[in-house]
Amino acid sequence: MKYFNLLLIFSISILFTGCDDNLELEPAQSLTPGAVLTDEGNMQNLLIAAYDFAGQDEVLSGQSQLASELLANEGELAWRGTFADPAEFNRKEMTAPNFFVERFWELGYAGINQANIILNNLDIITDSAESARIEGEAKFIRGTLYFELARFFALPYQAGATNSQLGLPIQLDGVVDAGAITFPTRSTLEEVYNQAISDLNDAYNLLPASNGVFADRYSAQGVLARLYLQQGNYAAARDAANDVLTNSGHSLAATYAAAFNNDSDGVEDIFMWQITTQDGVNDFNTFWSTRDFGGRSITGDITVEAPYFNLFTAPDDRSTFFYEGSGTTLTTKWQSQFANVPYLRIGEMHLIRAESNFRLGTSTGLSAEDEINALRGRSNATPITGITLQDILDERRRELGFEGHTLHDGKRLQLTIDGFAFNDDLLVFPIPQRELDANPDLQPNPGYSN
Amino acid sequence: MRTKLNGILTLFLALTIQISFAQEKTLTGNVTDQDGLPLPGVNIVVNGTSNGTQTDFDGNYSIVVSEGQVLVFTYLGLRTTNRTVGSANTINVQMDVDAQALEEVVLVGFGQTSKARLTDNVASIASEQINEIPVPSLQSTLVGKAAGVQITQINGRGEAGIQVRVRGVSTITGSQEPLYVVDGIPIINTDESVNDSPINPLIGINPDDIESIEILKDASSAAIYGARGTNGVVLITTKKGKQGKTTVSLRSSYGVSRATNTREWLNTEEYVELFTEAGLNEGFTEDDVAGFFNIFAENEEDWRDGLVDTDWQDLALVDGEVQDIGVSVSGGNEKTRFFISTGYNKTNTIIRGNRIERYSLRANFDHNVSDRFKIGINSTISKTQISRLSNDNAFATPLQAIAQIPFTRPYTDDGVTPNDGALYYNFLFQEFNADHDANVWRNILNLFGEYQITDNLRFRTEIGYDLNNQVEERFFGSLTEFASTNGFADANSVQNEKYVLNNYFTYDNTFGSVDLNVVGGMSFEQDNRDLQFVEGQDFPSDALQTLNSAGEIVGGGSSRTFFNFLSYFGRANATIFGKYLLKASVRVDGSSRFGEDKRYGTFPAFSGGWIVSEENFLKGNRTLSNLKLRASWGLTGNAEIDNFASRTLLGSRTYNQSPGLSITQLGDPELSWEETTQTNFGIDLGFFSNRITASLDYYTKITDGILLDVPVPSTSGVETVVRNSGELENKGLEFVLDTKNIINDKFTWSTSFNIAKNENEVTSLPNDADIISGQNIAREGEPIASFFLVEYAGVDPANGDALFVRNTLLPDGSRDRSTTNNFGEASRVIAGNPFPEVIAGLTNNFTFANFDASFTFQGQWGASIYNNGGRFQSASADFFDNQSRDQLQRWQQPGDITDVPQVRLFGGNGTQASTRYLDEADFIRLRNLTVGYTFPSKITDKLNIQRLRLYFTGVNLLTFTDYNSWDPEATADFNADNSLAAGIEFYSAPPAKTFTFGFNLDF
Repeated sequence: MKYFNLLLIFSISILFTGCDDNLELEPAQSLTPGAVLTDEGNMQNLLIAAYDFAGQDEVLSGQSQLASELLANEGELAWRGTFADPAEFNRKEMTAPNFFVERFWELGYAGINQANIILNNLDIITDSAESARIEGEAKFIRGTLYFELARFFALPYQAGATNSQLGLPIQLDGVVDAGAITFPTRSTLEEVYNQAISDLNDAYNLLPASNGVFADRYSAQGVLARLYLQQGNYAAARDAANDVLTNSGHSLAATYAAAFNNDSDGVEDIFMWQITTQDGVNDFNTFWSTRDFGGRSITGDITVEAPYFNLFTAPDDRSTFFYEGSGTTLTTKWQSQFANVPYLRIGEMHLIRAESNFRLGTSTGLSAEDEINALRGRSNATPITGITLQDILDERRRELGFEGHTLHDGKRLQLTIDGFAFNDDLLVFPIPQRELDANPDLQPNPGYSN
Repeated sequence: MRTKLNGILTLFLALTIQISFAQEKTLTGNVTDQDGLPLPGVNIVVNGTSNGTQTDFDGNYSIVVSEGQVLVFTYLGLRTTNRTVGSANTINVQMDVDAQALEEVVLVGFGQTSKARLTDNVASIASEQINEIPVPSLQSTLVGKAAGVQITQINGRGEAGIQVRVRGVSTITGSQEPLYVVDGIPIINTDESVNDSPINPLIGINPDDIESIEILKDASSAAIYGARGTNGVVLITTKKGKQGKTTVSLRSSYGVSRATNTREWLNTEEYVELFTEAGLNEGFTEDDVAGFFNIFAENEEDWRDGLVDTDWQDLALVDGEVQDIGVSVSGGNEKTRFFISTGYNKTNTIIRGNRIERYSLRANFDHNVSDRFKIGINSTISKTQISRLSNDNAFATPLQAIAQIPFTRPYTDDGVTPNDGALYYNFLFQEFNADHDANVWRNILNLFGEYQITDNLRFRTEIGYDLNNQVEERFFGSLTEFASTNGFADANSVQNEKYVLNNYFTYDNTFGSVDLNVVGGMSFEQDNRDLQFVEGQDFPSDALQTLNSAGEIVGGGSSRTFFNFLSYFGRANATIFGKYLLKASVRVDGSSRFGEDKRYGTFPAFSGGWIVSEENFLKGNRTLSNLKLRASWGLTGNAEIDNFASRTLLGSRTYNQSPGLSITQLGDPELSWEETTQTNFGIDLGFFSNRITASLDYYTKITDGILLDVPVPSTSGVETVVRNSGELENKGLEFVLDTKNIINDKFTWSTSFNIAKNENEVTSLPNDADIISGQNIAREGEPIASFFLVEYAGVDPANGDALFVRNTLLPDGSRDRSTTNNFGEASRVIAGNPFPEVIAGLTNNFTFANFDASFTFQGQWGASIYNNGGRFQSASADFFDNQSRDQLQRWQQPGDITDVPQVRLFGGNGTQASTRYLDEADFIRLRNLTVGYTFPSKITDKLNIQRLRLYFTGVNLLTFTDYNSWDPEATADFNADNSLAAGIEFYSAPPAKTFTFGFNLDF
């Protein structure tokens, strides 16, 4: 029996030695900040993820644009979906727990934080051109997100006024350590816009003229044109749009239809959020198309109703860019499930330049009337003579319908929206309940109490 | 077989000879107890025959016997006594109290003890309570049987996860599940479902292989499992062979099942009436409404003339069936013992398309190599095939079909192809054009060797291996929700394996009046989990369903993760003068899961007991036959956190198929286990020779350093950080009463009753801040996961608006009880508790001649359920979803008093999250009713059969509840792993009511 004892002693001695080392396990799918932020090759990886945050369907690939269109809906659209959150937009009865609103905020800030991490660590990049490009792209993403978030979460920006209404918390430091979490308060709207302008201007100055599917200097300039227009800063808007139209090399696609449902960037696209079958979700398609094309329901969740067609009095390709669902009418713009999201396209730049020129009485690049008619010509619509501001604004709605501009246009033009004043509290997103719960220093928006 | 025949022949011959030659006579006598008092009703049997009698009221008996025969005197609670018949014609017997009744062995982890000497709170469930009826899963055998243990199957799916809560919930974001230990080896209990609808990880374990289950409830018992003891420990012992005759057992049963409850929905006529009214109320014309209806009806007559009236619920909840077959063989000699078994179970559940088949094999062997050395193996392998469904939060899940409109046809004219013109995706396509199959292979092996080093000291080593291997494949054809991509398929594979090594010494000795038992050893455990998946779309044909045929692979990946534990443990039990009991234990756990700065934890426990009834002033007292006082204190942990939760990590995040890296979590290097301090006071009582036994326990369980996903401002890029933060408390009372009401040779009746009350309170949270998850809240001073909702105040009789109580907090601390129709003006308040405050079980067992019967009731009180589907199902016709029939009681004209607001199509009248959709979920359920008949031995003997029993058993036959949705136990599966989202229902299928017939055959 002796050898049993030996066997046992042997097995015990194996076990009692050398086990402690086994408690040191390293994750197989993740890296620590120490490993990531010391290797300059990772900066591009961090940047890619920043694009992914901003280009999420819940951020700028569909859901925020859907909110803009439904909040501004006066009967041109019908919400037929089952999700309660968009139904709240459509009824202008948002609640603080609205999940679309919450995710827009959370992922928007995740993108900003990602950009901040890059911007805080640029010094590890040795190549200066590389450093400039990465800084420019990170600032493009940060500036764009601050601008887009501010448009939804703050009362409207009013030209000529002191815009001291509550804006957003401005975070410029990336958090890579739980100890660095802060509980920020909201800056004024003016400060947020200034931050966005500063970031986008830096991006414009740092970025190359062309940068593949990623942001180039004209992507930044295009967002700036949109931002200045929102501010009512028509001269700056005109010049920015003019710069894009003159120098970016982008131009109108041959037909209206060719501007949409594209799997890759077309001639008209200044910047697109990239969608592939493996990566990204196009939520324009999810909500605006029928199930046959990848949408949520057989009718389509958002359908286009008769009042919208009152915008068209004469033949126009854009008035027939629709298809039928189950007795419902849907825009063809979002028919393709895996198409890229055309975030900034030349058509919008023409409209910005034309409107600004018209308001300023200038003809930078092209006269307003010629510019509008050129745009109309692409859609085989008859030219307008003796153009008025209203013509230009109507043209915007014909050209840019269902792309997410309607609420923001209503606010900058100070229109009454479905019976609500342009600056009604209920047309502003509530600060998400979850965020208020997590950050007691964050001020809620007026009009929301839960 | 030859040996067996020979044996029978010999026995037969022996009997014949005895009958022929023995001298018969009438024997009389008197039976008394240890105090000399006469005992009525003592059973007296002539050993080896069916000849027997009973003592009368005065303890007297008489019986015809032959010299040399042996009389066996039995009486419950007293020691069985044998007397050989000699020449005398009188035999008087004095029977002693049977210490054996309390010598019932209880497993306690790395050892065992007797019930009499137990100082901890351990619930034992023996095999008789498990094996007499077929049950779908291991955990469900325990329902209603153990005080303070709440067992809930999430919903009616056969494979659905089962939640086991021991003495309330002691965590907020950590796991609430107990640790499962099979034959000494902790096993994997990780749900591997791919679609958020949990699969019970223990589904592969055949309940019929189980000998006994012990639940270690208090800290003193669970502390030997240290950092994983807080949620209780479930010790499962599988069946072992016994020395003696080889027994073959065969069991087979067949049952049918249906839903415990269905709900009432509008039919076509009612739907048309209600929605026409809803449309008119919102300014639509009758033509507009007709236009809406026509979208979802094939022909206008379908709704106008009521030609189609589909009961969608009836299509979703179908008749189920259960078939269960098993064979086991066990036996052995003094050297080697074995138990082998195989089982097959097939369950077609009550939900269309949900089916399970399980095949299992077990072989347990143990062998004495020598007097001192024993080795053995316990092994099982099983395969479970599951035809699965989408989770509750999907149009494709059957129960969401109740949202479809009654005038929509389920099928096209051919009667086979589902109609694709329904309001929502028609779930019938899932059966017609989709597949979702899971295969689960489970292999649990446990080798042990035990060596008796000296008479007092032994060493045991256990090597365990557990493999949970699961492949889940889904295919959605070109007619399903994936029509736009010509179909979609994925294949997911996961291998989770665990190695366990236990080595420990056990020392037993007696020093004078002190019995000492000491256990000490170590354990190492490593858990590895590997996962792979691939997904693709664009299939050339619906007949080609594997990914080889996908036109485009659109996703794929693999990952692996691991954790380990290195532990040392020791325990000492001392019994002094057989009545003073002392126990101390300690465990040191180190784990890779814990933060760098806090890798090891120490978990001590102490307990003591005093068997008062062993003191001279009580000893031998028949009325108060047992009195024991117990007290225990101990520290346990909960380490069920993510494997690398303490680290700040960056993980992959791709864009445009380019690789990227982003922060996935911010970590706290101090992160460690949750620590629970539990104190338990108990009293055990036995009356009338322990015919009545009772226990009463009071406990407090304080958990601090709760592992919490602490919400942080998402301006920091993440939404939560896991921290040890916060404290909560459970305290409660448990009472168990077992009585043997009637015992005689014709009829026995025994009752077992348990009831437990648990009070839960969150006592501290980081920054005193509430943590809110959907409709649930963790708030200081309130039970964990309390419902936090706006209070619904009914309907304004003047205009039909839904009203809410403002509940604005006033400066004096009270709340503004006025009402408003503006939801935004109303504040949320604590509105209920998702966990029951009182749970109880009552089991009665009867035998009458050859019949046996038993029934178990379970009950729960104090919990509520929030029906998150209510805002679609009972929404005052807000959208086209079919409505529950109670919506017909809507407000129609000024002055109407009702709870259902005016119906308004797209009007959102009262559909916000409020107490309108919260309901109390108290219930009493007849969990089980069984009636069996065992054929008398004179028939079975002729057939060379040891035992033949036929039975009927019913599960969930009756439910008494006022709960207004499907079932007071059915909750949403897709957030089952979010412990704060408790008590939320969302199109959750009710459990099954099952009627089963079967037989057990032993030979």
